[in-house]
Amino acid sequence: MKILIYFVFFSTLFFLSGCDGGITPSPEGAPKEAGFGGSVAFKGKWPAGVTRTHIVAFRNPLNSAGDFNALNLAFVSDSIPFGTTGIVFSSLINPQLPIKSGEYAYVAVAQSKTPSLSLDRKDWFVSGVYYANGDTTKPGRLVIPENTFVTDIHITCDFNHPPPQPPGGQ
Amino acid sequence: MKFLPVILFCLFCLKDTVAQPGTIYGRITDIRGVSLTGANVVILGTTLGASTDTSGRYRITGLKPGVYRMEISMIGYRKSVTGEVEIGRSPVQVNFTLEETALQSKQVVVTAGKYEQQLSELPVSASVLSSTDITDRNVVSLDYALRYAPGVNMNLDQVSIRGSSGYSRGAGTRVLVAMDGIPLYTGDTGEIIYEIIPVTQIDRVEIIKGAASSLYGSTAIGGVINVITKDIQDKPQLYIKGYYGLYDHPAHKEWDWSGQRRPYNGLTLTHSNSIGRLGYVLSFTRSENLGYRQDDYHKRYTGFIKTDYKLTPLSTLTFMGSYLNQSRGNFVYWKDSRHVLQPRDIDQGQKVNSIRYMLAAVYKDVLSPDFFLKVRTSFYRTNWRDETSSHDTSKTGILEGEVQTNYRVIKSLFLTSGVESAAGKVNSNLFGTPNSFNIGAYLQAEYRFSFPLTLTLGARYDFSRLDTLKGFDSFSPKAALNYRMSDATTLRASVGKGFRAPTLAEAFTSTAAGGIKIKPNPLLKPETSLSMEAGINHSFGLLVNSDLALFQNEYYHFIEPGVDPIDGLVTFRNLTRARIQGLEVNLTFNLVPGNLSLLTNYTYLWARDIERNLPLKYRPRHQAQASLSFNAGSFEIGTDFRYWSKIEALDFELVDLGVVLDGDKRVPVYLLDFRTGYNLLSLGLPGKLFLNINNLLNYNYIEIIGNLSPIRNASLSLEFLF
Repeated sequence: MKILIYFVFFSTLFFLSGCDGGITPSPEGAPKEAGFGGSVAFKGKWPAGVTRTHIVAFRNPLNSAGDFNALNLAFVSDSIPFGTTGIVFSSLINPQLPIKSGEYAYVAVAQSKTPSLSLDRKDWFVSGVYYANGDTTKPGRLVIPENTFVTDIHITCDFNHPPPQPPGGQ
Repeated sequence: MKFLPVILFCLFCLKDTVAQPGTIYGRITDIRGVSLTGANVVILGTTLGASTDTSGRYRITGLKPGVYRMEISMIGYRKSVTGEVEIGRSPVQVNFTLEETALQSKQVVVTAGKYEQQLSELPVSASVLSSTDITDRNVVSLDYALRYAPGVNMNLDQVSIRGSSGYSRGAGTRVLVAMDGIPLYTGDTGEIIYEIIPVTQIDRVEIIKGAASSLYGSTAIGGVINVITKDIQDKPQLYIKGYYGLYDHPAHKEWDWSGQRRPYNGLTLTHSNSIGRLGYVLSFTRSENLGYRQDDYHKRYTGFIKTDYKLTPLSTLTFMGSYLNQSRGNFVYWKDSRHVLQPRDIDQGQKVNSIRYMLAAVYKDVLSPDFFLKVRTSFYRTNWRDETSSHDTSKTGILEGEVQTNYRVIKSLFLTSGVESAAGKVNSNLFGTPNSFNIGAYLQAEYRFSFPLTLTLGARYDFSRLDTLKGFDSFSPKAALNYRMSDATTLRASVGKGFRAPTLAEAFTSTAAGGIKIKPNPLLKPETSLSMEAGINHSFGLLVNSDLALFQNEYYHFIEPGVDPIDGLVTFRNLTRARIQGLEVNLTFNLVPGNLSLLTNYTYLWARDIERNLPLKYRPRHQAQASLSFNAGSFEIGTDFRYWSKIEALDFELVDLGVVLDGDKRVPVYLLDFRTGYNLLSLGLPGKLFLNINNLLNYNYIEIIGNLSPIRNASLSLEFLF
């Protein structure tokens, strides 16, 4: 019986030794990461041959093929799996190119069919664009203040009714 | 239904022809000669029985002349069977002494098969919380007590048995919670309001694990929790309980939003008596909690009444009523990790007022030694209003009824059958004005072979309709075995189908609360399950009892809340497939019989969304508990330790959407409670004093996202019984 009591006693000590007080507050003044989050919905049948799908953000409007460049590109999300019907995303989770606070003129879902990663405009097409305040006549502007995470950024990709394509595409 | 009066009339006629005047009476004591209150005395081979009163006395009438044996059982005592007793025209006195034991397998339950059975005779896993488990821990609401039950975990106020439920802000339940067999889910959200259950009137809580839809229908897809209330006293009895407690300062100064230790208190008055053939109990409770979190206070008044009227020695009419009037703050999510005890700015000042009551009538009649009839009806009314910008309100009434029979066809064959129906009506700006209706019929046969094997076969048919949604029906069969290998070892196995209809809240909710917009989903389908379990119970003498269960539950069209990516709104959806597998081990050590005991249990859960290969939310993979109790004379002391591994998945969408800042903060749970009590009888006072310290280590953890669980708090309670 003594062995059992010792077992219980030391088991309890073992468990409690892993106990460090639990949840703690984040340090004071710790800067909060700027970013944005929301959801992407896909409607219709995915185009065959799509190799990669990303949420992207550009600082300046895409008025010409030249605006589709690495300097203007401010954010690239992790790749969205083929056939996905919808995701909830955060720019803080596994971004391929992280975003900073600032203003962004064009936020969209871009897809590519090329086997290797390319930054050539003609290798990409846009399947969904972020519109602000329900205004679908022009792309919405995303503003991320300092130390702020902007929410409710929702994008719909309707493969049957694709949005206007930026200049320079195929 | 129009034939019901005819059937009842026939049954009454049958009763008059078979009732006989033979009587057995006597007194049940423990080995020290102390009268045992609430011991069960059953005449073997019949459905006749009785419970002992406060002086340990019982009386059973209506026996045919003949030779009988009696089975006497009580929680905490070893079940015993008497020798043969001959009954003639004159009353026969049989006194009996029970021997103490801590072994749970000897306990008696009524929930598993809708009649009285021993735990060791069940083909499914079950456990029992006794009234002392509740009073010794100064439990003020049943949901706190359920946290100490093996295999059960609470996600805030949502109960889950073996991972059956995650968290959906109270909408829908996969565990049927009932009081004396009367369902207690609300008509709108389908949630359980624990505060309406009078904890001081609980005799025991029976927990049946695994799908119980074959007897109980929808909402029992994950199990049943049945609260059995105390028997009414034969002599006047006054019970008074008061408590006062304080929350400690939070562990981190950043969290100390009030600068004070926050108090809570309560007072209960109960009176019970019998006048002639009428017995009654009246109970009133007032409780107040200023809350360890801002806007997390409550003030509530509860009332409870139960009356028993003995129409004949073999028939009883019971009336029961429970009332709750509550005003409380509405803490939704914390502000951030530096302000975990304060709500977000947009949720400040939220308040909910509610009035709820339940009325029930139950008629029980032993029509013959082999035929038992129970007819019950209940009405559960809820009315609540929140004081937020949306001013949500809901008024709901749900009328429920059941006719149940137990019939011993031959010595080895026992049938349980019944018809049950419920109709609900809602008037709410959240859900609209929908109504609901369901009806079900069940039949269960239990056959005892000559070797110690019991086979149970059962099935239930249900038809449900939810307002404008298409009605659907469900057939829920079940098969189960209980094989007693020896006096010490019992094997059990069961397989059964379960189903759950969506609640009005899941299908029709349309609101915005706490920054979350919820939209209806009228395409929601019912969910179904296939549950399997195998278990073994083995006793190592009287000192150790062990129980092992392996289980697997397959869910189809599993209903879970989630964010619709099209518009970012929260809605309830059907997951195509979910699977929950696991094992549960319970060990009870009666270290020093009657003085020192240790109860331990461990549950492993593998809960996955099979379609997306993701863990189901709010299901800790490992859970363990240990309760050590010691008593000597008037003094008792105990500790409870609870461990949860870190939850793998919670509502990450709310973090991604920025609704709950730092919402992904979560840790394993290490919770230690301490309790001690002193019986004042040694001082000549009929009372008991308790000291309880909950969360002794002041460990900070969550059960659901953005909600810190209670910090360290201590209470003194005093109860008297006159």
